[in-house]
Amino acid sequence: MQQLAQQIVSGLALGAVYASLALAIVLIHRTTHVINFAQGEMGMFTTFVAWSLITNHGFSYWAAFATTLAIAFAGGILLERVVIRPVESASPLAVIMVTIALFVVLNGLASWIWSAETRNFPSPFPGVVTVWGVSLSRHEVGAIAVSLVVLALLWAFFRFTRLGLAMRAVAIGPEPSRLLGVRVGWMLALGWGFAAVLSAVSGMMVAPIVFLDPTMMQSVLIYAFAAAVLGGIDSPLGAVVGGFALGVGINLLSTYVDFVTPELELPVAFAVLIGVLLFRPSGLFGRAVVRRV
Amino acid sequence: MRSTPVRFGLFAVGAAVVALLPLFVSEFRAFELARVGIYVIALLGLSVLTGYAGQISLGHGAFMAVGAYTTAILTTRYGIRDLWTIPLAGLLTGLVGFLFGFPALRLVGAYLALATFALAVAVPSLAKYGRIEEYTGGGGGLLLNLPATPFGLPLSASDWLYYLCWGLAGLLFVAAWLLVRGRIGRALRAIRENELAAVSSGISLPAFKTFAFGVSAFYGGVAGSLYAITINYVNPDTFPVGLSILLLTGVVVGGLGSLAGVVFGALFIQYLPLYASDLLDWPLSRLGLKIDTSAPGAPAVVYGLILLAVLLLGSSGAAGSLARGTRALTNSLARRP
Amino acid sequence: MRRKLIPLAAVVAAAVLVTIPGAFAGSARREAPGVTARSVTIGGTFPISGPASLYAPIAKGMQVYFSYINARRGPDRKRGVYGRQIVFKIYDDQYNPAQTVQLTRRLVEQDKVFALVGGLGTEPQTPVRPYLNQQKVPQLYVSTGATTWGADRKQYPWTIGWQPDYQSEGRAYGDFIRRTDPSAKVAVLFQNDDYGKDYLAGFKPAVGAGRIVAEVGYEVTAPSVTSQVAQLKASGADSFFVVGTPRGTIQALVTAYRLGWRPKLYVNSVSATDAFLTQATAAAGSREAVNGVVTTAYLKDPASPKYANDKTVATYKRLLAKYAPGADPNNGLYFYGMAKADTFVQTLYRAGRNPTRESLLNAAVNLKLKSPWLIPGTTIESSAKSPFPISTVKLTRYTNGAFTEFGGIIKTR
Repeated sequence: MQQLAQQIVSGLALGAVYASLALAIVLIHRTTHVINFAQGEMGMFTTFVAWSLITNHGFSYWAAFATTLAIAFAGGILLERVVIRPVESASPLAVIMVTIALFVVLNGLASWIWSAETRNFPSPFPGVVTVWGVSLSRHEVGAIAVSLVVLALLWAFFRFTRLGLAMRAVAIGPEPSRLLGVRVGWMLALGWGFAAVLSAVSGMMVAPIVFLDPTMMQSVLIYAFAAAVLGGIDSPLGAVVGGFALGVGINLLSTYVDFVTPELELPVAFAVLIGVLLFRPSGLFGRAVVRRV
Repeated sequence: MRSTPVRFGLFAVGAAVVALLPLFVSEFRAFELARVGIYVIALLGLSVLTGYAGQISLGHGAFMAVGAYTTAILTTRYGIRDLWTIPLAGLLTGLVGFLFGFPALRLVGAYLALATFALAVAVPSLAKYGRIEEYTGGGGGLLLNLPATPFGLPLSASDWLYYLCWGLAGLLFVAAWLLVRGRIGRALRAIRENELAAVSSGISLPAFKTFAFGVSAFYGGVAGSLYAITINYVNPDTFPVGLSILLLTGVVVGGLGSLAGVVFGALFIQYLPLYASDLLDWPLSRLGLKIDTSAPGAPAVVYGLILLAVLLLGSSGAAGSLARGTRALTNSLARRP
Repeated sequence: MRRKLIPLAAVVAAAVLVTIPGAFAGSARREAPGVTARSVTIGGTFPISGPASLYAPIAKGMQVYFSYINARRGPDRKRGVYGRQIVFKIYDDQYNPAQTVQLTRRLVEQDKVFALVGGLGTEPQTPVRPYLNQQKVPQLYVSTGATTWGADRKQYPWTIGWQPDYQSEGRAYGDFIRRTDPSAKVAVLFQNDDYGKDYLAGFKPAVGAGRIVAEVGYEVTAPSVTSQVAQLKASGADSFFVVGTPRGTIQALVTAYRLGWRPKLYVNSVSATDAFLTQATAAAGSREAVNGVVTTAYLKDPASPKYANDKTVATYKRLLAKYAPGADPNNGLYFYGMAKADTFVQTLYRAGRNPTRESLLNAAVNLKLKSPWLIPGTTIESSAKSPFPISTVKLTRYTNGAFTEFGGIIKTR
């Protein structure tokens, strides 16, 4: 019983990690209809920036955190303006390829600048919590809380702010929005900026658990994709629920189902992704993403 | 549109160059170029699927893995001569691709990219699954015999590999060309341009899309089989996601919807990562910057930036025009008396 | 119709050309490829980038040591070895065997190296072994402890390993537990691949049936091992044996600590270096997470106070600071690389003033070397009977941030 509880709680913590990146994927998809394969690497890169600020420039954790988010925001906007904008009207293949090129460049740059060594990244929430024999590090509790807070912020942003409303409008109909005086181009750039901020948050939540190195986000990315699709790729709530479901589900499967051995964890994520796309393309909370022909 | 005789002429010149090259290059180059031939085959398949039918695939490496494992298992476990496993690997992988085409039917654009990406990630780890480990060798993989020249042919092993890979590449090139120039090619292009219009003009999407997946996977399987033969080994690390990304890059750089471009694309993906740091050294030293370009990551940066440049300068742009330039050059050379 | 004949003709022409005998046979082979009066060129493939890049310091350590050898005056008062500068070509195979094959052929056929030294990784080195043996190129001191490098030398006489093999190391932990803690209940976390399983093949029979109460594998790509460690904790074990590569091992130790599980800890030597345990300490926020870790050592530990005044360790630190500024001297992988480079240099001296591949191989497989890089009282020895150059380990325990060796020297072979 205690084992079951422990597996569920650790699964939630892992799920929060997937959810945080899935939120960034969802945000970009929702505002610009792009699936960004470089989302994880953006998080990894900005986390290295934060690490560098802390270890080499003497920043405190929270100062580094805030500075990194600002850098990520500017970087996201810059990326959109410089490399995404020119291909936006081209085929979806071109946009996907650009994000893949970004993946390669960011990963290479990180190994180049900081080398491929594995590093510790500090957590703002040190220590351990134990309740009824179930233990969790404060960091993992923090990661769960952060993913929920980000979710609430996103919801409030899209629901209550003019900017959020404008971004939603652009996502639904760029042309009518333009006619209504919304600056469509800037909305798309802001979408990238915010998504970069979210992936930076995700990276800084992942790093204390997975440890910081250039490949840190690569397996997380697969699970985050699966989580985003499971939740319905346009739904932030879905991304978080999908992340939790995946984290808990895989933990339980590998603990209690004999034939699910560790090498099947990635294939399980793959099966979830394909299965959802095929049988319930709208995911748990989203709109339909595929059409029948 | 160039006339057909000119195309034949070009192909003949190309074939002659390919056939004579080993006489002028070292054994090692022949071995390296054999890998280029393998990439040509893989890229031809991807080109039919992505370039012509417009279906993004980030999972081509997974199809290569299926072909490679087929050959590895048949040769190590059942003692079949590696040469005969090549068609089997192609057909089996083609079947797998054809079947994958059915779920893929329902996925458009970015979702297909996601699904195929997941395929590329999942297939290599499947090879480690305990219940089939006996066949696949698990993480430790399967060791094949060193490539050797069969039938007592008077060729070195590297030259044999070279002719094997390029011979098949030539054959499959012609097959792909015959495929895309006819009715099927027109149908695939129509699907790429506008699915709804294609359907309303009587093209069956399920039939053509699954067909394109099957053909693409067949090519991938043949390429994978040759890959296993040349490196005399397979294991999950041999087929990282990076391989699938590399292949898609090759198709884009070669120019989408250009069969001749795949040769350029194959050369690009084989040689760029090897020489990227030299490429980087040159401008940096001109600028008087002392930066260590042999550091890890530097080649990846160059490679990514070139890919980015190709994409930004027009989707079939820089490389497309480069390829066009090369073709124009060979063209004019070919015309000389 | 005629148009269709043209490609046919081309194909026929190509087919005819195919059958022309390889016209230009290679020129006569020189006595020793890669050796000139002023230099010896050797090479190796390493994962400088990609998923296994944390091993890159091994290549760096080797390179640093060769730079030093090239700059200093040796016993013969010449720089390098017998006046020859050592040129060490490193290629990045990203731990992908397909790359290793291509790059190794490049080293042999294009760069014409004299020998391959220190190539890293069981899987990447596996497919190039038959090739190098066919070409009779020495494949020396591969950076992997898989048992096959020594055990299969009959089949592959041109190949030899260096470090103690994983099976024997696994056996050392098993013996220790059976001897000192007969009532132990052991939980095992292993990396789910041949590397992990090689260790288990030695550990399981040695520790004795019934003492292992739970064993769980983890994937090297998995983002976390929490689920596995929680399962092992639930087994009620009082001893925890971790067989992994560094990242998974650090995660396992930290997770066990966080779950409030305080078993006796056993960690395989690859991951139990001071640098990695320090990292685990920092991540857990407590020394308790790693206190008492038992592992084996065959090299001096540059981080241990025991060797603070050791001459070799001092040299190591000086060289690292000079040739690789910024590198962390406590990362034992640099030390490993330098120690291995030193073994090669000594082998090269023993191969004679005019070394050939045969004489080099002969020196490598008949080695008797008092290496100051090894823990005191041990030597590097290889022979046809025992082709495992380093086959002595000592148990060592990590207490309060430092390793202390204990017990006698254990012969692994």
